[in-house]
Amino acid sequence: MRYLMLVLSTPDAPAEPEGVPAIEDWVRDTYGSGRGVLGERLRPPVDAVGVQVRAGEVVVTDGPFSETKEVVAGFDVIEAPDLDEAITIAAAHPMAYAGAIELRPFWPLGLGDGSPEDGPGAADEGAAGAAGQGAVGGPAGA
Amino acid sequence: MTDVGQAVAEAFRDEWGRVLAAVARSTGDLDLAEDCAQEAFAVALRTWQRDGVPERPGAWLTTTARRRALDRLRRRAVETEKVTTAARLAEPLTTASADPVLEAVGAADDAAGWAGAADDPDGDLLRLIFTCCHPALPLEGRVALTLRSLTGMTTAQVARAFLVPETTMAQRLTRAKRKIRAAGIAVRVPPPDLLHERVSAVLAVLYVLFTEGYDAWAEPDGTPDRRALAGDAVRVARLVARLLPDEPEARGLLALLLLQHARRDARLGRPAGDVPRTIEEQDRSLWRHDEISEGLTVLDDALARRRPGPYQVQAAIAALHARAPSPEATDWAEIEALYDVLLGMTRSPVVALNRAVAVGMARGPEAGLRVLDDVAAAPELAAYHLLPAARADLLRRAGRTAEAVAEYRRALDQVDREGDRRLLRSRLAALQEGEAREV
Repeated sequence: MRYLMLVLSTPDAPAEPEGVPAIEDWVRDTYGSGRGVLGERLRPPVDAVGVQVRAGEVVVTDGPFSETKEVVAGFDVIEAPDLDEAITIAAAHPMAYAGAIELRPFWPLGLGDGSPEDGPGAADEGAAGAAGQGAVGGPAGA
Repeated sequence: MTDVGQAVAEAFRDEWGRVLAAVARSTGDLDLAEDCAQEAFAVALRTWQRDGVPERPGAWLTTTARRRALDRLRRRAVETEKVTTAARLAEPLTTASADPVLEAVGAADDAAGWAGAADDPDGDLLRLIFTCCHPALPLEGRVALTLRSLTGMTTAQVARAFLVPETTMAQRLTRAKRKIRAAGIAVRVPPPDLLHERVSAVLAVLYVLFTEGYDAWAEPDGTPDRRALAGDAVRVARLVARLLPDEPEARGLLALLLLQHARRDARLGRPAGDVPRTIEEQDRSLWRHDEISEGLTVLDDALARRRPGPYQVQAAIAALHARAPSPEATDWAEIEALYDVLLGMTRSPVVALNRAVAVGMARGPEAGLRVLDDVAAAPELAAYHLLPAARADLLRRAGRTAEAVAEYRRALDQVDREGDRRLLRSRLAALQEGEAREV
């Protein structure tokens, strides 16, 4: 059996939990014993990219499909030279047509850009703003 | 200003985007490119004083900015080497993935790469535009970043134009640039299978930018900084239309912006009134007819390619207004027909609403109201003030005053734009005055 272990950060996490084991120990034990297959840290949700195909068009959106009721139905780890290539791969997946694909960039260890807002609690500023309807908005007789 | 100061200021206006784009292309790092482009202009101010203004200021600035970038990348690479070495020692299970910084230095050291970049300033600009307008970025960030990158406006100036505190704007720009790095958005023209959607995304950003400025022309207290955004959007749209000669929609957008922008002085009238005027009420002698004729030429050129799209159709509608010597001479039947086409292309409820207004003008208010009833159920329009505003106008013209008053009130509850608010208030006041007289 293989299991996907989703590591979640929760908004109501205790500030200073007690008796937390060191991640180094967990990594050593889990991967040292061959039980671990692949593990990575992910960039926070603000850096997520949504990909869907609707009516034959690739629809790319800022941010995750959060606060909805999607079920994680599977996962793939893909290697692509840049986001557009990753979008092309994601847009070719059948679930991009029937559901949605969320691309979450990996966050290489040792290369964080050190910003305090990078944490899981980072606010999702201006999620929609003026919304995407600019092309056809506006008063008719302005 | 000294001659040199003048020359640097001119170079800044003409070359900022190119210098930034060239460095961004070579390094793939917009933040770094911005810093180095800024430094290059500062260096120019000093050295041009001493050595004279170079023959090709743009090339000089680009070379200087690139050298700075290369220096910084080399320094950063040394530091990163130290950090990653330390990280690897502490964390033996981390796989040594390809290091983007080291790769950038590799590319930077590749003399051909740097030299090649100098030969393609238009290509660099195009890549920069696609990067700034990438749909994976938050919309607000796209609009601000496009403006900052292509006009050289400072963060403070962009903040002032959008009426937000400078810290808010700085954060918006920083987040967008960080996401470019974090999500792996490359400074590139998108692959062919994504190009069509991505061109639309660029044009949508420019239209949002334009609208922000154009709205301010309908507001008595609209600031000059904010109004200038409309002109900035026209300039960038002109650049994009030139860079994408095979995309008629890019010309369509340029035509649309030119035709709308030409009416800016008439929106409040002259001297400027307190209430914006609808197109029927505007003094047409205040329209800029040179800009209208440029818009019409650009539109004809786009339409001649026979690949119509939503911007071309919207521009064609704007052209029918622009061509009419008086409101009565407006060809509303043709406008209604164009809205039919636009609705078929976009399926947008906002377009359906505008079509209902056109029907009301072409075939009378009762006909417009019937069409509007079919549109009103769309959930996208639930909180959109122009739905009750359009119904109110139709009811007013149909002589159904009491119903019109109720709809104007509803629109006023929902309106979020100062210009529209003033227009609605004045309509409501006029109706109530009329009612009071009748009683």
